[in-house]
Amino acid sequence: MSGRSPDTPFLGGPDTLETTVVEHPFSFRDSQDKELNAQILEAVNRMGGAGEDAEDNYRRAVDELGKRAGEALGVIVAEYEALPEDRYLDRWSLVQLLSELRQPEAAAALNRIIASRIPAEKARGSHDDSTVTEEVIIRTTAVEGVVRLSADGVEEARKILLRHARNRTFSIRRASVQGLLETGDDADKRELRALLKERGEQGLLRIKRMDVSQVPQAIGGRFVVHPDVKREVPPPDLSGEEG
Amino acid sequence: MATCTYTVPDKNASGDNFYGAVICNQAYVDYFWNTYGFSGNKAYWDDGWGWDDSCNTSKPLARAFNGCYALTYSAPDYLNDSYSSAILNWGRRYVRENIDDLRCFCGDGTAIARSKGGGLVEVYLGFFYTKDVPGRAETLIHEARHQGGKPHDAKFPTGSTFGGGKSGADSSWGYEGAWMYGALYLWWYYAAGARTTSALRNRARQRGNVVIDNAFATHPGFSI
Repeated sequence: MSGRSPDTPFLGGPDTLETTVVEHPFSFRDSQDKELNAQILEAVNRMGGAGEDAEDNYRRAVDELGKRAGEALGVIVAEYEALPEDRYLDRWSLVQLLSELRQPEAAAALNRIIASRIPAEKARGSHDDSTVTEEVIIRTTAVEGVVRLSADGVEEARKILLRHARNRTFSIRRASVQGLLETGDDADKRELRALLKERGEQGLLRIKRMDVSQVPQAIGGRFVVHPDVKREVPPPDLSGEEG
Repeated sequence: MATCTYTVPDKNASGDNFYGAVICNQAYVDYFWNTYGFSGNKAYWDDGWGWDDSCNTSKPLARAFNGCYALTYSAPDYLNDSYSSAILNWGRRYVRENIDDLRCFCGDGTAIARSKGGGLVEVYLGFFYTKDVPGRAETLIHEARHQGGKPHDAKFPTGSTFGGGKSGADSSWGYEGAWMYGALYLWWYYAAGARTTSALRNRARQRGNVVIDNAFATHPGFSI
């Protein structure tokens, strides 16, 4: 157990934080349709659900929005473009929503997001915080949206994946190659292999999607137990909390 | 002593508003406070950080508790935290055995968290407001691995999103360092995470893949 006394005021100098709460991150500047805006908000909000019914609630919200997917597409894209660059999670949530709605018309917008310039790193001194990484996560999620369209038979989506098999960012190339291998037709795959051969990047073909149980696991507890091992306290049981 | 400010949406996809309803229960507050290194650190978690408002998910303490909730309850069989099970199960045990002292600071924008040795981990604004809920659990596991005696041992590969040539990468998956622990946790969260949504599981997959692609000097050769 810790040798520190519980919560004694001390003479150090802890930091102070002031937070301002806003209702939601979006402006809906170009959409006066309050019902549609509310449906988009609900779907985004439900993405972060917790509890036994979280997925059901999320799916219900997406399905409801899906009834107006055509109208929603333009609003979602406009909101994505209006968000400040540093709202990475909020930008990601809109791309995830585009991916969920599986609208063939979204292919062009997803392509624009993937192809957009990645701003220079803003956390240069860090090894764990990286704005470039946040930007790439947004773009690989857009690739995932294109892969879903490709699986639905949207030809433009396959062309987009082939185009981004030569993207300058490794993770985008890797995701595009894997997506096209999984959803493209034989001609697409031939063209992809020829492209990778020409670029000397056949190694991308060897990166396989795997089941987590098939990869080497961490061996917890090896060399690592803290000398002051705490007593083993079970967490409160969830029974009775969720119905 | 620094003063920082942040504007936080009441509703977005981070997961906080929903987790918030769950963690607002004295049994969880007591458990998280006493188990994951908060105890003894009231002074740090006060003054706007949420000590006197631990259900308010616009404040850092509740958002940290949300990460602790995901860490504790995301395995379908969460009561099993045996080291012979998956990291989704024992990640919480590993964190509580290695992080003894968890403190919050504004930070200078160059880190999400830092491991200071001796069980002390500092978390900064990005931990609460850039990371989603499972991402915070991943960060605690990453820092716990440093506390467990595994520093980073390599430079990021050329073209890495974390900055090619910079120190802070792990040499390989087999090194079993902090990046491997974090990526593996995200992978299991994607594959088997309970009490969450497919959207957050997909986000875990995307983040895990970017880590696998960019945080190892030698690419492991697989992806999620």
